[in-house]
Amino acid sequence: MNPVLVTLSAAIAVGIPALATAWAQSRIGPAAAASLAEKPELSTTAIILLAIPETMTILGFVVAVLIILRGGL
Amino acid sequence: MILAMAKLRIMGPRQLLPEVLNVVQDTGLLHVAPVTPDAHLAPLSSTPKQLRLRRYLRRGLADIEVLQSKLGKPQRPTAASQSVSNGQIARWCRLARRTRREAERLDARIATGEEERTLIVKYRGLFATFQDLSIPSARWELCRAYHVLLQAGQEEVIGRLREHLTRVIGTEFELRTHRLPSGESAMLILVPAESAERVDRLLAESRVQDIPVPSRYQGATLTEAMPQMLERLEVIPGEVAALTAERSRLLRTASPELLRAQAVFHDLSQRLEAIPLSAVTERAFVLEGWVPLAAVPRVENRLAHEVGDLIAVERVEAADWAGEAAPVVLRNPRLFRPFELLIQLLPLPRYGTIDPTPYLAVFFPMFFGLMLGDLGYGLMLAALSLILRHRSSPGTTRRAVSEIAGACAAFTVIFGLAFGEFFGDLGHRWFGLRPLLFDRAEAIVPFLALVLALGVVHILLGLCLGVAGAFKEHKRQAIGKGLSAVMISLIVISLLAVTEVLPRQLLTPTVTALVIAFPILVVVEGLVAPVELVSTLGNILSYARIMALGTASVMLAIVANQMSGALGSVAVGVVFALLFHLVNFALGLFSPTIHALRLHYVEFFGRFYSPGGVRYQPLGHWRPPADHPALERS
Repeated sequence: MNPVLVTLSAAIAVGIPALATAWAQSRIGPAAAASLAEKPELSTTAIILLAIPETMTILGFVVAVLIILRGGL
Repeated sequence: MILAMAKLRIMGPRQLLPEVLNVVQDTGLLHVAPVTPDAHLAPLSSTPKQLRLRRYLRRGLADIEVLQSKLGKPQRPTAASQSVSNGQIARWCRLARRTRREAERLDARIATGEEERTLIVKYRGLFATFQDLSIPSARWELCRAYHVLLQAGQEEVIGRLREHLTRVIGTEFELRTHRLPSGESAMLILVPAESAERVDRLLAESRVQDIPVPSRYQGATLTEAMPQMLERLEVIPGEVAALTAERSRLLRTASPELLRAQAVFHDLSQRLEAIPLSAVTERAFVLEGWVPLAAVPRVENRLAHEVGDLIAVERVEAADWAGEAAPVVLRNPRLFRPFELLIQLLPLPRYGTIDPTPYLAVFFPMFFGLMLGDLGYGLMLAALSLILRHRSSPGTTRRAVSEIAGACAAFTVIFGLAFGEFFGDLGHRWFGLRPLLFDRAEAIVPFLALVLALGVVHILLGLCLGVAGAFKEHKRQAIGKGLSAVMISLIVISLLAVTEVLPRQLLTPTVTALVIAFPILVVVEGLVAPVELVSTLGNILSYARIMALGTASVMLAIVANQMSGALGSVAVGVVFALLFHLVNFALGLFSPTIHALRLHYVEFFGRFYSPGGVRYQPLGHWRPPADHPALERS
């Protein structure tokens, strides 16, 4: 398989979820910070909420790895 | 595990209630609960006198807490005295209020002195400049001076201000400027006294601020105040030191008395708050509460011994309080106890459900170790944990954190050996360290398979715990969770059979079993069941984060090692490599902690955890927070 296409596919597989995660975290972060100012006891919930969208990037990373391995790079 | 509780009902003549409450408080084991009123029992309301006393105590406690925060270091409480007269309480309240006011007055004076000193120090360099500029103008008998400091790059303000002044007061002003070595500009504006009001307005509109003169020199201009201010600079430190000493003396003198008052106020408040939780008939009282099952004889004996046989203590049948929210005490073996800290970050589990501490204590350090998985980093973490342990006392949060870090370090070392990593590939390069399991940098797919297998085990364990937890009260839910566990297992077996990890002959029976189990699941759990099943499979995939973070960690370590040879100078390379390892280590502490916690809180606990437990808070004598940092080494 064309190595350029394989590399590009892997980059897209991890890049787009990373952008989506960044967008989600950019929304969660300020909301969490505002909540923490009012209720500091919510810190654990805030950290977990921030970590949740990272699943997308991690799954994207796994897919990228599989693309690279299957693509024979 | 969650400690088994018993509900006690204490009954006796109404006039004995205060004495019973005293004994209960001395015992420190009964979590008082409100008594449900019925046709014969009425709730006991606080009297206006008791309500007034509670308000009074609250105010006194607030004053003492403010004073303690000013004192900085909390001290051990003294034993609360049972026999304190109302006169003594009033004296303590007055002492607390008086001391607080005096301390606040001294604080305000210290702050003013510090502020004045800071201002004088800040503008001391400017004084000479302004003195040069302040040659008195012969044009007016009475003139007003404005001192302005302009930041570098704000010079255009001078021209603009000159124009505005000309427009407002004509030529009746002098504007002198001097550029300072810092790039800032000192500006002095002199105007006749009668124009001052208009110039004040103009400066306010132009957002140009006169340099503030400390309140002590109110009415004087900066030029007039300057000599006095420079003199004050010599005096202020002495004044502040005297005020600080006076404040310390005040707090030290009042502290022992107020500490005793604090203990008494807390104890008395608690007893007053317990009164409305009891119920009464015309002649008798009823008090109810929870006690750890093993401690019931102690409470019974103490009450019998100290109050006598005029009161009756009976154990309420468990069936009678099954639906009520009994308080929760987590009690785990010594090895698992530090991990209760991670459970306490969430709302407590409900009484009668499963305490996940033992499972967390096994899987949390394991996941952490799988992600960091490096002999060198593991040893560094072990050293940090030992330092933290040395600097903490038993039973404190710091000690718990040090013990959790120790467990994580142990797993990091074990997996470091399994993956053959010592600061990345340094172990291999220096002393030929070889992986016992596989090399994480190369074997990405086996690593992924390992963590997904671990995810399957973890989620299945969660589902099994869910079945066990729901079996008593929600049989249908338990069957649903059990079926989900079976279906997850069948799906995993089919996938392994398809990929020929397991014999292919297993495929047909497992798929058949899946086809049969699916409609049963929908019947038992409803249409939401398929969605739940897919979500559970998604949760298993989420364990791939262990592989992702682990691979990232080893790659960063390898990059750090390559720096030593890639930057020309070996010394510079080594420094950069060390810094990079340090950054990787810091990341390696933070990310695995967050993600291992997330895997537990979201993926694992989601299968069985039932939050909403009430914390066990027995009526007892007051103690300050045990793990206040200032108390830890005392």
